[in-house]
Amino acid sequence: MGKLKMYTDRMSQPSRAVLIFCRVNGIDFEEIKVDISKGHHLTPDFTEVNPLQKVPAIVHGNLKLSESHAILVYLASAFTGIADHWYPTELSRRAKINSVMDWHHSNLRNGAVNYVIHTTLAPALGRQLNPKAAIEAEKVLLSSLKALEDFWLNGDDGGFLCDNTQPSVADLSMVCELMQLEVLDERDRSRILSPYKKVLQWIENTRTATNPHFEEVHNILYRVKKKLEQQRARTAETGTDPSNRMGGPSKI
Amino acid sequence: MLKVKVYADRMSQPSRAVLIFCKVNGIEFDEIKVEISKRQQLSPEFAAINPFKKLPAIVDGRFKLFESHAILIYLASAFPGIADHWYPADLSRRARIHSVLDWHHLNLRHGAAPFVLHSVLAPVLGLPLNPKAAAEAEKILISSLLKLENIWLKGNGRYLLGNLQPSIADLSLVCEIMQLELLDEKDRERILGPHKKVQEWIESTRNATRPHFDEVHKVLYKVKEIIQAKQSNQGDGVMQSKTKSPLPSKM
Repeated sequence: MGKLKMYTDRMSQPSRAVLIFCRVNGIDFEEIKVDISKGHHLTPDFTEVNPLQKVPAIVHGNLKLSESHAILVYLASAFTGIADHWYPTELSRRAKINSVMDWHHSNLRNGAVNYVIHTTLAPALGRQLNPKAAIEAEKVLLSSLKALEDFWLNGDDGGFLCDNTQPSVADLSMVCELMQLEVLDERDRSRILSPYKKVLQWIENTRTATNPHFEEVHNILYRVKKKLEQQRARTAETGTDPSNRMGGPSKI
Repeated sequence: MLKVKVYADRMSQPSRAVLIFCKVNGIEFDEIKVEISKRQQLSPEFAAINPFKKLPAIVDGRFKLFESHAILIYLASAFPGIADHWYPADLSRRARIHSVLDWHHLNLRHGAAPFVLHSVLAPVLGLPLNPKAAAEAEKILISSLLKLENIWLKGNGRYLLGNLQPSIADLSLVCEIMQLELLDEKDRERILGPHKKVQEWIESTRNATRPHFDEVHKVLYKVKEIIQAKQSNQGDGVMQSKTKSPLPSKM
């Protein structure tokens, strides 16, 4: 079987999850960059790999596979020597991990992605910010964080989802999802995350368990964060913030 | 071991998928009805089973589980004698089934469920119809059906991923589409009509899981009658108000 090929864009949070998983577990792979901002996911070459034109996708021998959860589960099962805690063999523990990953789709992912796009990233993608959609997304995000805090992380201090003492593919997938909040304005990020102490601890636990790979793969996000912070600072200095042009009384 | 308990409302499409799976595979279970229209899913008793108050959920011994895909995988793995095609042991085949199940969440389900709710079902649940939300959901539904037709059902097999026999993914996704039965016939034809492979695949899945498929879907046809009765009442109402309007009549 040929070497595993991973088609990824590190700006995509499920791409980061599968890359970190491979590195932490010593899986030998070739990283093939698909730059979404340049439309590389729409090329005929990549459409051949994944007709749905989404990253991440993998090619392993004859298997072409998309959807990050399916990829994580496959990698944890197909490669030898991967510690059982990533995707436990025991059926009821495995079922709980499948359950939280299913929950992720319509809740945490749906809330986090849309909130970040509609408050922050839209202009970088050539779209307009959409405050109304951001409000809707924030509701989903906050209720998902509450569910994480009160239910999924409500074990006897296991440190990870479903009362586990070591991380699973679900921890990696969902912590990577939350890491995209790094690009928000710092005050906004703190407003959203700081009430959820267990969630914050869990992000740290997952980061620690997968470092140095976790930080290395997230570097790109920190660079974008810095760029956005500089933009915000410039906007504040020059007063080009659109809210200042609305004709409201200035405080100065 | 005690019989597995399945908490379900047959009006919920993932509930129907789990019930059909159990019946087709001879899994002994107790069906515990949780009626969403009576808000029984919000009761403290059910919250103890699933704190998210969603259906379906199962209890197997002391083990509680929710999310229909996770339930189908668990049942296919935990009960003896279930044919391999439902959830293949081969890792590549299994991985591709996971892939289509994951895709389902933010595509087909994300389109079909809100479309049906906002275009026909809302009044039955005491909610107003929402044409704008229905239009948004319709876009997702149509693009999902196109992807089913051109990507997931590509190949010679009758089932998803070119398979010759049904998997849990076929059952889950076909049950999702079956809720379109509630639509006005013209609307349903407009949406499903162009997708011939999708239609054949629904029939194949229905045939492979008969008579249980039809039996579990009966409730859907009953609700369709209720909706049609309501609509024709409204239709009468509209005619009456038209005759009362000051606009010049053609007669």
